[in-house]
Amino acid sequence: MSPQKILFSPVTRLSGLLSVELTVDAGIVIDAEVSSTMFRGFEYIMRNRHVTDAVYMTQRICGICSTAHGAVASYLLDTLYDNDIDENAQYLRNIMFAADFLQNHIRHFYFFGLPDFVIMPNKPPFLNQNCFDCRLNTEDNQRLASHYAEAIKAAEKSHQILTLFGGKAPHQHSFIHGGAAVAPTADKVNQALALIRDIHAFVQRYMLPDTELISQCYQDYYHIGETPGCFLSFGLFRFGPKNDQLLWKDGVLNANQLTKPNLDLIQEDIAKAWYERAKWMEQNDVLPAPHKAGAYTWTKAVLYNGQHFEGGPLARMKINGFYNGGTSTMDRITARTLETLLITELLEEWLHALEPGLPPIQQKRELAQNQAIATTDAMRGPLLHYAHVENEQVEKYDIITPTAWNFSPKDANGNHGPAETALISTEIPSPDLKYIIPGRIIRSFDPCVSCATHLIDYSKKNTVNIITT
Amino acid sequence: MEKADFLQLCRNYATSANYELSAKVLPVAREYLMQHNQTKLPVIWLETSDSGDNNIAFMNTTYPYLNQVLTDMIDLLYSNTFMAAQGSDALRLLANAVTTYDNRFTLIVEGAVPTKDAGIYNVIARTKHRSITALDAVSGLGKAAQYVVAVGTCASFGGASSAAPNLSGSVAVNQVLKREVINVSGCPVNPDWLVGTLAHLLMYGKPDLDELNRPKLFYNFTVHRHCQRRSYFDKKEFAKHLGDIECMFSQGCSGPRTASDCPYRQWTNHVSWPVKVNTPCIGCTNRDFPDGSTPFFSPLPEKLKGKKTNLNQPKIEKGAPNEPAKNPL
Repeated sequence: MSPQKILFSPVTRLSGLLSVELTVDAGIVIDAEVSSTMFRGFEYIMRNRHVTDAVYMTQRICGICSTAHGAVASYLLDTLYDNDIDENAQYLRNIMFAADFLQNHIRHFYFFGLPDFVIMPNKPPFLNQNCFDCRLNTEDNQRLASHYAEAIKAAEKSHQILTLFGGKAPHQHSFIHGGAAVAPTADKVNQALALIRDIHAFVQRYMLPDTELISQCYQDYYHIGETPGCFLSFGLFRFGPKNDQLLWKDGVLNANQLTKPNLDLIQEDIAKAWYERAKWMEQNDVLPAPHKAGAYTWTKAVLYNGQHFEGGPLARMKINGFYNGGTSTMDRITARTLETLLITELLEEWLHALEPGLPPIQQKRELAQNQAIATTDAMRGPLLHYAHVENEQVEKYDIITPTAWNFSPKDANGNHGPAETALISTEIPSPDLKYIIPGRIIRSFDPCVSCATHLIDYSKKNTVNIITT
Repeated sequence: MEKADFLQLCRNYATSANYELSAKVLPVAREYLMQHNQTKLPVIWLETSDSGDNNIAFMNTTYPYLNQVLTDMIDLLYSNTFMAAQGSDALRLLANAVTTYDNRFTLIVEGAVPTKDAGIYNVIARTKHRSITALDAVSGLGKAAQYVVAVGTCASFGGASSAAPNLSGSVAVNQVLKREVINVSGCPVNPDWLVGTLAHLLMYGKPDLDELNRPKLFYNFTVHRHCQRRSYFDKKEFAKHLGDIECMFSQGCSGPRTASDCPYRQWTNHVSWPVKVNTPCIGCTNRDFPDGSTPFFSPLPEKLKGKKTNLNQPKIEKGAPNEPAKNPL
């Protein structure tokens, strides 16, 4: 029998719009193309604006990880203006960032992941769930399904912490260049402590045992969706007056060798993305080309030293020595839950470290340099912002998002990105599992297509086309 | 079915075997319940060109919490974010929902609609035969819906997705539909504004709308009018920096030209809002957001001077009905 195509569209339960096309031969996936089907183009939108608009503007790239964009844009502006960040501000910023991480991870596990493994009640929004491979016994299944409602509250509480200090969520206001605009006062700290203790209890009582149970019942997923073990992290939770001390270290993990990331080795590749270089433009600009032949996604490929790298909780946990498992679907899920627990504990610790006082913010008014690059890890992997400014106006703003790393299309040499690699050589033993198995693999990366399709160097666009099977 | 017809039906099948009576009565009863006892709003939620922030904001609703909204208020029949079904199973549910609830479902659109190149900049799903663009989906579903609700500023007015230079030709939902669209703007929407609008549709029908088709319930007054720091403004005590306790007008606050109830309502279980954390309102509910609000930190008169935004300057928002004549602009 000749190879068959599986068109998996839409891949639901993630942020943004994603389609996947698989080629299957004798029940084995032999090719995979992940296709981000939306284009927004934030790099273009940032041009000609005042550079201090970056924090609020770039948060609009993403709803589920907005604070990550606000954070890295703040670091970028701190460098451009040579700001000094007060110690209280360092804690406040990391508290807000951590709260958004908790929100993301809890929602990912329960809203996006749970219906992959647990039979949900047969009513909206869970109608027509494919329960072909749901393995929990009735009692366990019912218990885990009921934790969905608990997760709703725990995630909302995480955003309540972010809002207490940041003014709103998503798209907080006070984590901004120069520090944090909000005063750490006893009432707010105490309120946040009450909230984080509830979240901590939720993670311990529900999320950890639920992850454990799912990982036991689906042990085969420790061997499904494996990647080659090339991990990249820009580090997480920046401290120090110059944002230069990372609590969780950055690193490039390749064949068990850990090195420091060298940003000069990052390249974008648009071979299979709907972009083309406009030769007539300065800066070797890239423009959307939705009808480009052979292209299949609005996400550009990102390479480090010519190679694809994977980011996310598993990368961070491995690089920091917190997790020694493999590189599979279930390893990614387990590492995310482990990270959730660690961040819950850190957040509480940081709340105790705050000293009551005035809003710790001091913004310098004169540019110290006219270009800068800033990095952090976001929820799903490495995030980079770069700006070149003239008289405080943005000439060029580049963004490389985590999902661009993880959902890189094929590069010019035909090499696949991490998600495509994870899908390839997967066995699809029955047509009833044609969405189930790829769906579990894809979601373990926690894709955020809203992000992936704007960032990077130029924008991406989405969609369309054309690859009918 | 009239009562007499129903009784006749019961009599006709009263003695027949094989549950024939039940088979006749159940569809009739189901139909009746659907028409007369409709206690939940059937909802199709389409995500188009935005950041997904309105979805996240919606998840932050408290009293009712999300699970209560899903159980007691709406039947969320299609949602890329929440639905358990995936791939073609998901699209089949969408098709079923449209057939079953023709003219009775509420279409929620989250995001702007790219129109350039026939809309190929945003494809909500692909089938073997075609790409379903957001433009196709919104146009088609918009015709079949009882209400269309544009949630967030991208869907309401174009928003960040249509900010200059707008390479994808993105427009608001009401630009592609020849029908009334209820705009619930905000970047993101406050969950109360959305859940409150849905509650109004469910309990009392269509809410009163302002000139921009937003529920007056939430958008009838400017932020400035109800701001806790209004007394500082009136005494001309302006903040020198972000983080100060005085009026944020000097720091670029768009409150005087922004309609929303943020100062009362606040965010995420009503705990705070941007001015409360000593930063300006950036006018995220406005028709010309973000271009009409940037540079975010320049005072209003400066930021609006000679401004070319992607949208015409709205006249209506400059002061709500009860705004005093002495407007800072």
